Amino acid sequence: MISCQQIQKKYDTVRALHNVTISCKKGEIYGLVGANGAGKTTLFKILLGLVTADSGTVEIFGDGAKKIGGIIEKPALYSYLSAHDNLRLFSKMQGANASKQTIEASLEQVGLPLDRTDPVRNFSMGMKQRLGIAVALLNNPSCLLLDEPFSGLDPLGIEALNQLIFDLAQQTQMTILISSHIIDVLSTVCTNLSIIHDGEIIQTGATSTILTACTKGYTLCGPEIQKASFLNNYNPVSNGNCTTISASAIEISEIIFKLSQQEIAITSCRPVLDLQQLFNPKQQ
Amino acid sequence: MRQLLYIEAYKLFRQSRTYYAILALLFIEAIVLLSAYYQGTGIIDIVLANLKDTFYFKGNLLNGNLIIYFILNSFWFHVPLLCMIIVSGMLTTEYEEKTLQTVLMQPVVKWKYLAAKYIVASLFTMFLVLLLAVTSFMLSYGIFGEGDLVVYTDGLTFFEHDDAFDRLVYAFLFGSLSLVFFSVMSLTLAVLLKESFKTWIVAALFLIVSTLLLKIDLGSDVWNQIAFFKLNNTWQYFFNLEIDWKAVMINSTLIGVYTLLTMLVGLFIFQKKDIG
Repeated sequence: MISCQQIQKKYDTVRALHNVTISCKKGEIYGLVGANGAGKTTLFKILLGLVTADSGTVEIFGDGAKKIGGIIEKPALYSYLSAHDNLRLFSKMQGANASKQTIEASLEQVGLPLDRTDPVRNFSMGMKQRLGIAVALLNNPSCLLLDEPFSGLDPLGIEALNQLIFDLAQQTQMTILISSHIIDVLSTVCTNLSIIHDGEIIQTGATSTILTACTKGYTLCGPEIQKASFLNNYNPVSNGNCTTISASAIEISEIIFKLSQQEIAITSCRPVLDLQQLFNPKQQ
Repeated sequence: MRQLLYIEAYKLFRQSRTYYAILALLFIEAIVLLSAYYQGTGIIDIVLANLKDTFYFKGNLLNGNLIIYFILNSFWFHVPLLCMIIVSGMLTTEYEEKTLQTVLMQPVVKWKYLAAKYIVASLFTMFLVLLLAVTSFMLSYGIFGEGDLVVYTDGLTFFEHDDAFDRLVYAFLFGSLSLVFFSVMSLTLAVLLKESFKTWIVAALFLIVSTLLLKIDLGSDVWNQIAFFKLNNTWQYFFNLEIDWKAVMINSTLIGVYTLLTMLVGLFIFQKKDIG
């Protein structure tokens, strides 16, 4: 479990964090959403002990020598060493088991091949992310912090990482805190979200509740979507086989029902978020 | 701590730049040897033209001992400079590649991690001096042979071969203390500056200023005795007719104290500083 209360941090005169309070339960995947410069990374650095808060308290509950592991921005690894050597080095420096079996188990846990002995600089971004997570997981921490883990990954990489995060939380009851501005991805893994803006937590709650409140419309796709003339009542914007409409969460259920009645097939229905409202509601 | 020392040494010797630096040092040593081989005889003949008629010298004056002495003289700028570049890189690359963040996200005691770097940097500097000493002795004696050493300090001083050998070994040994000080200083500068280029520039500036100040009289016996830049030529004491062991020991102790203080300042700042 991770809990931080009333965290404040200033860099010279710039306010980075102001009265930030967050609490994540055991086994929970918690999302932290905010625009660039909102304070996500600073908060993570404080939670990971890299930066000292000016005031406030951080409590991380867990057993063992290492309570928390994480990645800040990009996985930082010794690029001239292989994945095995990186894991061995990071294990040794914290007095963890650095046997061949343990290292191989770590690689397997994050889905990395055991036969790659070339330097990490040759690895793809997705593989580096996985290795970074393997390093973070050394010594079995009870909490994991991932700062922008999806940036630089292709869709396959995002999907694989998503699955890995989900499995970790399910299988080990690890508390996982993820920051990102890729809302689509966060919405699929996180049960709860906090929105951070200008160093302040402006909203906290269930992911579905927060995202529904910020949904300004939906994009409906289907080969015959243009035939649905009743969509003209919802300010439609068409783009090929897709139409974006302005509708609330309640209205969309009715719209999908009507489409079904008119036997107009849809292949996808994606919410369109009002990012301005989500990231920066004060300017609304 | 033992594991941290092993890790630092392992990382140092797994990076290609370490070997480039070693090759650079050996290359410079080879240049000194070659220039001595082609021009040395002429210089010696000019310097000693009159004396050769008056005194009897055992062996060729352009011998291995003189070449090692040449190498020693050329040592005190490029060797510390290369040491400072390599050693500061042990930390600046960790800042720049953010591996320091990854390390400090593990349960590693911050000051112990830097202390391990200081210790490995000092040992690496000693290793470089040892390597240069061994290669200097082997190549110089191998190419130029043995003989009496003639050096010019306040006047011409002559040392018999065995005596010269001992003095040269002492010079390498005690001279390495200055190099360790410069290496430790560069690591402390890396703690402060974090970036490679900034650290190299400031380290080079520090070395140049130290070398310039070495020649300047501070107008006070006490300051001339204890200022750190005045201690960097302690190795020269071994080429006075009578070795002033008391002065050598005082200077060495002072360099040790300066090194330790520089380390402690670095550790204190590192411990206090955020890694962000």
